[in-house]
Amino acid sequence: MFFSRLLILVSVLLLNGCDNLNPSSEDLRADVVPGSDGVQVGQKAIDFTLSDTLFVDVNLSTEYPLGDGVVLYFTMWCPICDSHMNYMRHHIVANYPNIRFYFIDYVTGSISASRQAQQANGYTDFDVLVDTNHAIQDLYNATMGTVIVIDSTGIIKMNEDFKDGSKLLSVLSVL
Amino acid sequence: MLTKIHLLLASIMLATVYTTTTMAASCCGGGSASSLILPKMGQQMIDLSLDLESYDGFWNSDAIHVEDPPGSKLQQTRINLGAGYRLSSNWQASVVLPYVWNDNQYAGFETNTNGFGDAVASIWYEAFDEITCVYKVNSIADLKPSIYYGLSMTLPTGVSPYDDVTNSFDITGRGFYRLDASLLLDKTVFPWNATFQYSYGVYLERPVNREYGNYVEPYDKNLGDRSLLMLSFGYSDQTENLGTITYTLAYSELEEKAGEIEGQIDPTGGLEKKSLAFTVALANFDKDWIYKLTYNKATDGKNFPATEILSLGVSHVFF
Repeated sequence: MFFSRLLILVSVLLLNGCDNLNPSSEDLRADVVPGSDGVQVGQKAIDFTLSDTLFVDVNLSTEYPLGDGVVLYFTMWCPICDSHMNYMRHHIVANYPNIRFYFIDYVTGSISASRQAQQANGYTDFDVLVDTNHAIQDLYNATMGTVIVIDSTGIIKMNEDFKDGSKLLSVLSVL
Repeated sequence: MLTKIHLLLASIMLATVYTTTTMAASCCGGGSASSLILPKMGQQMIDLSLDLESYDGFWNSDAIHVEDPPGSKLQQTRINLGAGYRLSSNWQASVVLPYVWNDNQYAGFETNTNGFGDAVASIWYEAFDEITCVYKVNSIADLKPSIYYGLSMTLPTGVSPYDDVTNSFDITGRGFYRLDASLLLDKTVFPWNATFQYSYGVYLERPVNREYGNYVEPYDKNLGDRSLLMLSFGYSDQTENLGTITYTLAYSELEEKAGEIEGQIDPTGGLEKKSLAFTVALANFDKDWIYKLTYNKATDGKNFPATEILSLGVSHVFF
């Protein structure tokens, strides 16, 4: 009887549960007005200023015109983040000297703690911005592994998970 | 009567190892369950366990241990509800469904989320009719182990990165179906017991059109094949009230190869984990109630959190 009830419970989950049980390949991205302010691809990136771990303020709208664009990567210093950041270090950054790469730490809550995490994880060769109250993470609907590419005019070209890095490479190649 | 006791004791040793869930990792998608194995003479079995898993840094892709950020406390708690059912004298089936709580506390970020984890449905074939446990080895035939062949399907009933979630802390499952084939060898020469298990799992590719709540350009994704090797050694003793206490030490190696995105290998994927577990199991005189306490510690790994898991469990067998 118990086995049957558990089987029914699992069956109910199968029938009514999350989208993973019957995943969709439908493109459900919302249309955006090109050039409008926002966080979607095609929109003008909302400006912000964050301090890096060396107490230097970095303003987004000041940075992207200085080269071909800016890459923002959101990290919580986890195994997946480390894998992504390590891949960027070895396979991407050196090939794009005119792109500014920033890691955004949204979990440590202070510049000093972020600096400790940066050192412990071995990324002192990167510029880490500290999102102390995770306001920028919330603003851009970002989470662990989100990568955002902004071109030199401030238009967002990519805002999604890093995955295997191939999408980032293809976006950077046409900046 | 002696035969029944033999069988029950062997079953307890087996249950000690195989009703403990040991997989998790919230940011990596956790909350998966393991399968149950019903004793040979059991008709049904229910199992309830509580896993308290804590994280203490992680091993990066170079297998170097890295500390978590200062002020962080990361934990996952799981309650696993399982049931086993005998289909015939040599066939049995089981279902395990976990419920997961993620408690992630950083100095600048705190989340508490919960939901169902990934369920596992299994079917096992027992390739033996007579018991193989003995008190003394008198011949080569006495060394013959009990052999089990299993097939398990992990069902993505948990919350994955591809659901309508706010961030990575909400995840309680990986979002993929997985089919595992398992071989289990078990040998008991009282009071000693040894088991060997090897499982190989294949994920099923799926489309993705959403990541952490944001719709993206659809693509196909698959996780890498997964292998699990486990060895365990146990010792049983009788308690004053004719119950049984069993001590088991288990070693396991888990490897998941890199997955694929749009048919291309994901160079940032894959993981490894090695762990040791010590279990104390107490069974009553009738051997139909088994209480278990397990401590599991990850000892080495790649791309995986360093975890400690304390598990408390109880199983009830209907003979």
